[in-house]
Amino acid sequence: MLTVSHLSKQFNGQPVLRDISLTLAQGEVLAVLGRSGCGKTTLLKILAGIETADAGTLELHGQDLLPAPPNERQMVYLYQEPLLFPHLSVFENVAFGLRIRKVKEAEIKQQVTELLAELELSEHARKSPHQLSGGQRQRVSFGRALIIRPRLLLLDEPFGNLDAQTRAAMQELFGRVSRQHHITSIFVTHDSREALTVGSRLGYLERGSLTSFASVADFVADPRTNIAAELSFWENIRQTANPTSTPA
Amino acid sequence: MKPLKPILPLYALLVLGLPLAGLGYALLGSVVVVGPLAEGFTGRYWRALGHEPGLGYAALYSLWIAVASVGLSVVLALGLVLRAQPTLRRAPLPGLLYVPLVLPALVVAFYLFQLLSRTGWLSRISFQLGLTSSLEAFPELVQDGAGLGIILAHVLLIFPFLTLLFQAIYQESRLAELDQLTSTLGASAGQFRRRVAAPLLLRRAAPTVLLSFIATLGAYDIPLLLGRPYPQMLSVFIATKLQRFDLRELPAAYLAGFLVASGLLVLILVLLRLVNRSRVETG
Repeated sequence: MLTVSHLSKQFNGQPVLRDISLTLAQGEVLAVLGRSGCGKTTLLKILAGIETADAGTLELHGQDLLPAPPNERQMVYLYQEPLLFPHLSVFENVAFGLRIRKVKEAEIKQQVTELLAELELSEHARKSPHQLSGGQRQRVSFGRALIIRPRLLLLDEPFGNLDAQTRAAMQELFGRVSRQHHITSIFVTHDSREALTVGSRLGYLERGSLTSFASVADFVADPRTNIAAELSFWENIRQTANPTSTPA
Repeated sequence: MKPLKPILPLYALLVLGLPLAGLGYALLGSVVVVGPLAEGFTGRYWRALGHEPGLGYAALYSLWIAVASVGLSVVLALGLVLRAQPTLRRAPLPGLLYVPLVLPALVVAFYLFQLLSRTGWLSRISFQLGLTSSLEAFPELVQDGAGLGIILAHVLLIFPFLTLLFQAIYQESRLAELDQLTSTLGASAGQFRRRVAAPLLLRRAAPTVLLSFIATLGAYDIPLLLGRPYPQMLSVFIATKLQRFDLRELPAAYLAGFLVASGLLVLILVLLRLVNRSRVETG
């Protein structure tokens, strides 16, 4: 169980995060919707240990995480870009977390091979990152994080740079693998559809304040998520295009 | 664009055709087919290579100087870029790194000679302070057997250039973000430097590092001023042979020039392969 209490952060006197509190159970995916500059990245970086908080507490399974350096938290932060190691092959990129933990070679080979198969990357194992498509690179990045069995996965608009089709495929893959491995994660996005697709819990971050929703209905009904307006827009389009039809 | 067309073949002739023609001439000169002593084909200067250790010593000495100079420069530049990012990003260090780059090699050599020779400033200060009993007691730092002065001069010129290059690659490759990412994957700062940053920087900079190596291998003015008559670096060795009054030395000088130029040509081919690989990787 992840518990964040009264987390605050300022940059040059400007509040970026205001009194953020949330809890997240094992295996849950909290999708946080928010516009650019709302504090999403800062929140994730504080959780990962890359940034420090001005106030508040952060606990995982009752352990205070704030004093722990990022390399001891086992919370992987995934950027919008895959940021693969360009000098390493796909296999070695995924194996990185195991190699720095000095896992035995046979064990590395077995784990990486299995994960690559799961992510449909087996045929690309020996390729360099520059030989992959955008979606494949993002899958490698995902695999590189998954291999160390992170206690919390922090995803900062990871599919933001992908085309619509690849993005939908990656969302489906993320959902499948998350359920299979029972991964706890916080997934920030500015796309309400993506939030609804990947999240088992939903939140909205605005000017550093987080609103958690008890249900999908509450999330959809909140005017800040813009979902109701968008549904109305598409309904108008449908009626204009086909005025005789009635909604099912 | 049409008026530019004849320029390309002319440029190719200047940078490729003429040097290759020179190489061919040196080869023919080494077998005495051309040159002031042309007397028809003979392989005796090639056979004499085995009994004349001068060229071999000069090659080994040049190799030592180039490996030590470029190696030290790479280590210093890597150390600075990987361990002193905040210092490298603020004044005055970035500006100071540019200073040696505008100095001609001969000026740097002359400056080091004034500073480090037994009659130089450091030796005199050391003598005045009573640290040395006489000027001759000052350690031999230039025109020494190991080539310390030559190495130091090259390091002074190469190290700032490589530091600026590594720093540009560091930023372009987003190594600061990779540092944060690897730390969340569980890597320590040392593991990031060893497994990610250093290999990435060296791989991307490999063509330029090799170019620096070639330039050091063929350096002339620095070893001329800061080196000894023996051992000599290759360029000084060949120039000395070519400028001798004894014309019978010429074929041996052509032979040495041909072998050195061929060796450098092989290094340049390796360099071109590295450049192509780097171009593919960066897209």
